[in-house]
Amino acid sequence: MSFSENEVNQWTRDYEDKSPQDILSLALEKIDNIAVSFSGAEDVVLVDMASKIKSDIKVFTLDTGRLHPQTYRLLDKVRDKYGIEIEAMYPNAEQVEKLIKEKGYFSFYQDDHKECCGIRKIGPLRRKLETLDGWITGQRKDQSPDTRQTIPVVQVDGAFSGESGKLLKFNPLANWHSAQVWAYIRANDVPYNELHEQGFISIGCEPCTRPVLPGQHEREGRWWWEEATAKECGLHAQTNKG
Amino acid sequence: MKITLVKKIKADGSPCKKCQEVIARLEESGQILQIDQILIADEVDADSPGNLLAKELSVDRAPFFVVDHDDGRRDVYTVYFKFVKEILKQKTSEQEELAEIMHNNPELDFI
Repeated sequence: MSFSENEVNQWTRDYEDKSPQDILSLALEKIDNIAVSFSGAEDVVLVDMASKIKSDIKVFTLDTGRLHPQTYRLLDKVRDKYGIEIEAMYPNAEQVEKLIKEKGYFSFYQDDHKECCGIRKIGPLRRKLETLDGWITGQRKDQSPDTRQTIPVVQVDGAFSGESGKLLKFNPLANWHSAQVWAYIRANDVPYNELHEQGFISIGCEPCTRPVLPGQHEREGRWWWEEATAKECGLHAQTNKG
Repeated sequence: MKITLVKKIKADGSPCKKCQEVIARLEESGQILQIDQILIADEVDADSPGNLLAKELSVDRAPFFVVDHDDGRRDVYTVYFKFVKEILKQKTSEQEELAEIMHNNPELDFI
């Protein structure tokens, strides 16, 4: 099933102030071939919400090979609790072998995290998304210190849409704050990653994730050796009319 | 087919880094000859042709390409490697494509 750009834009407007559950219902009702992307962190709330709307939801995770043991344990816990299969996507072995051979296991501390993430995360993600018509993410606006960044609740995914058709991306938690996510987790007895009890807020790969102190932004717990740089080429022209 | 490239000029008059990189690649490959027009999105002029086109197409980053096909279809590309692969039929490496996706979509860090 395909949707016009206008329809999607209309959903974006209509659902901007709706609840994550409403946005999930829209996604699951409109698109058959859709899956939830689950990272093994706070986005577990999406799995809980989606499984209450539809029994046979599809869930996938990106197993980079560098995740914490606690994350793997959560993946199993979630699989058991909700009775769902969590499809693990793995990096291309040849690309990983080449990276390790040329640069070692921790090249991201010298270069930056993008080459490793490209191989271990974005490549497998693209491979999975090529098989889908839509995907659901746990992305939230408050995850980034770049305040200009706006994540719509629904969008045509410009990065991953293929020649064969448009891929829709739903971000039901876009307007939620971390506190709302945690209120939901506690109120609904949702299993969570044990690392959160050790001061981790944002959880990714083990070498690139660390706990943060009270008051620190969660972004400071990821790729802390790199500066959080603003996007250089965003279009934000000033209005200079008198 | 008509291909339009929109590039951004920053407030100090210099081109944005990404636009510079893309134009250098197009010039090096000779593919710049296949670009029919280049519009400027001037950071200090909201009414510059590039900004107006970006607004019309709801594009929030530069550079981007607009491809107007002979049959009336219009495609917009914000990913350079996707554009050269699909429109200019150039072979691209997966590594290049992934690097650009990450550059253009920093929010993917949190996937």
